[in-house]
Amino acid sequence: MLAQVIAGGLSAGSIYALVALALVITYKTTEVPNFAQGEMAMVSAFVAYILMTDYQTGFFVAFSVALVFAFVLGIGFEAVILRRVRNPTHLSVLVVTLGFQLALFGLAGWKWGAEQRQFPFPVSANEVIRVGDVSVSTLGVATILISVVLMVGVFAFFRFTKLGVAMQATQQDSMAARINGVPTRRVVGLTFGISSVIGAVAALLMAPVITLDTTLMWDPLLKGFAAAVLGGLNTPVGAVLGGYLLGLVENLFGAYISVEFKSAVAFLMIILVLCFRPSGLFGRHRTRKV
Amino acid sequence: MTSIRSRKKLSTALILSALAGLSCAEPDEGGVRGVTDDTIVIGTWSPLTGPAALWGAVGRGAELYFDMINEEGGIHGRQIEFILKDDAYQPSRTVAAVREMVERDGVFAVTAGVGTAPTRAVMDYLTENEVVMVSPATGATHWAYPPKKYVFAQYTPYLDEAAVLVDHAVEDLGKTRIAVIYQNDDFGGSGLVGAQLALEKHGLSIVESVSVEVPDTDLNSHAVRLRESGADAVLMWLTPRQAVIIHGAVGRLGYEPQWLVSSVLADTNLLYELTEGAWAGVIFAAIGQLANSDHPLTTKYREAAARLAPEERAGEFLFAGFRYAEPLVEALRRAGRDLTTESLVEALESLDGFVGTGPPITYRPDHRQGTRAMFLARTVEGGTAVKLTDWIESGIDIEAAIQELEER
Repeated sequence: MLAQVIAGGLSAGSIYALVALALVITYKTTEVPNFAQGEMAMVSAFVAYILMTDYQTGFFVAFSVALVFAFVLGIGFEAVILRRVRNPTHLSVLVVTLGFQLALFGLAGWKWGAEQRQFPFPVSANEVIRVGDVSVSTLGVATILISVVLMVGVFAFFRFTKLGVAMQATQQDSMAARINGVPTRRVVGLTFGISSVIGAVAALLMAPVITLDTTLMWDPLLKGFAAAVLGGLNTPVGAVLGGYLLGLVENLFGAYISVEFKSAVAFLMIILVLCFRPSGLFGRHRTRKV
Repeated sequence: MTSIRSRKKLSTALILSALAGLSCAEPDEGGVRGVTDDTIVIGTWSPLTGPAALWGAVGRGAELYFDMINEEGGIHGRQIEFILKDDAYQPSRTVAAVREMVERDGVFAVTAGVGTAPTRAVMDYLTENEVVMVSPATGATHWAYPPKKYVFAQYTPYLDEAAVLVDHAVEDLGKTRIAVIYQNDDFGGSGLVGAQLALEKHGLSIVESVSVEVPDTDLNSHAVRLRESGADAVLMWLTPRQAVIIHGAVGRLGYEPQWLVSSVLADTNLLYELTEGAWAGVIFAAIGQLANSDHPLTTKYREAAARLAPEERAGEFLFAGFRYAEPLVEALRRAGRDLTTESLVEALESLDGFVGTGPPITYRPDHRQGTRAMFLARTVEGGTAVKLTDWIESGIDIEAAIQELEER
């Protein structure tokens, strides 16, 4: 039973980790969580769905187009909406992301209605791989693998490419980066694009399990946000570890202690972490000089 | 000067005509709100947007039903003017929508309002204003227990559904280990309490009860708990999304209990499609003819829906909207041309075994739950269903069950 619960925790945790990572890389540039993240991912999943059902394209085409769409949506959101905010304060940027979230949700509801849809996917959510007494769906295995590969890719990008390093520089000190010749505006836009793609991958992996509708990303976004706070909002590695930790703790708690309070345990953990380590379990404390 | 004066005159005239316009909505001397020579105004609320928008089909179904009645010439020479307002399943918005309906649009009666919390938020206001409410689209028991003069319930209580499903599992299928997975609120609680009471009668008790919070999407540990309980049948009191998630999670564990589910999950075609066929074999309670039934009225409704709203999916919720409005239309016919709130109440109380597409409905002055019957059906390959029983009722003492539910 324990191994089964851990397997469940890992596959739930993979999604939380992806969403947390997507949130954190934009958080580091704007210092505000992007609450439209979930809805941007949901709309991208719908793009894939429409291509597959209405235009009968294959998985490869549909998913590629959806990810390109997500990238453009992320860049567009930053360039057309966020950058136009006058005298941006944390609060006003936060409100703008909330507004964009509501707008996307309303638009999606109007366009696609509220019915649940079965989301086609190349590997099945119902086909099972059994190892001993542990059973995991092929999709569950794929989710864990894809998210690990994607996250390693993102970290390698930040660490080893020029653009990635420029992004980190912009995140750490935008002014200094600009003085050193980094085109910070373009870099911030790209950050939103990449974040949106990571979110879209999470949505594409979620939709076949929990069915596709406009509320697809509500729970994952909330949990991803919790994971990011848990691990540390300014450390991508911490946020990802926070995601896995949250998935595991929730599942262990639900299976062995109380299923009633399974969801509450995430928020209890956050309160404890914020009391004792305000920068998150893995975050470095940042002090602001006056 | 003259121009100012004439402007003044003009504005006075405008105000007067506006006032006159307003007073049109008010009943004439001795008239009835919402009833004119050639119209009757009926209203409802439905979540047309927001997270519960799946149930918006109920309101649109009721609208189609009235369109159909109007096409056939209306009722005693009057056309139905139907007002459908969106409340997004938020009680605060339901209150605003219903106030507008009563105070501005002047509705004569309301029917098929969706949702327990939204309906509870407006019930007192409607009864205070003597607006008749027929068939709230929810299986809670707040409407008919205790009976209220202007409130007429149709939906078979969830408590009864759970009890009948459990009776079937124990008596006909020989199951003895029964678990319950339920949404952690009034709706899910009704399933739990109904099952408990029915099991007590058989000298059994629930082997495991697992609650689910509404936003939860990861139900892996819930599935593990169900499997560990070794239950041979599981009663499921959830909404469609979580039904699909838990059904999949349990299936992946290689654990195959007999599923018994509420009428909220009677849209077998949808669930069959969402689970890629795994839904076959699930037994459910139905409180009305199924959307693909060959019942003459259902056939007629299907044709009307295809003609009047070809873009609408012909699912269970759409035809539920038709069904909820049936007793109101029957009573309007019986009340005759001299229509008042009192004559409508009297006509509704005269329904005795009235049959539309639901179970036979009976109201009396001291009895406002029109029916407590349902039939059971099993989903089969292809996503359709076969009937397992005729209309049946549970043997539970509903007053005691409500008491139990309130104490939970």
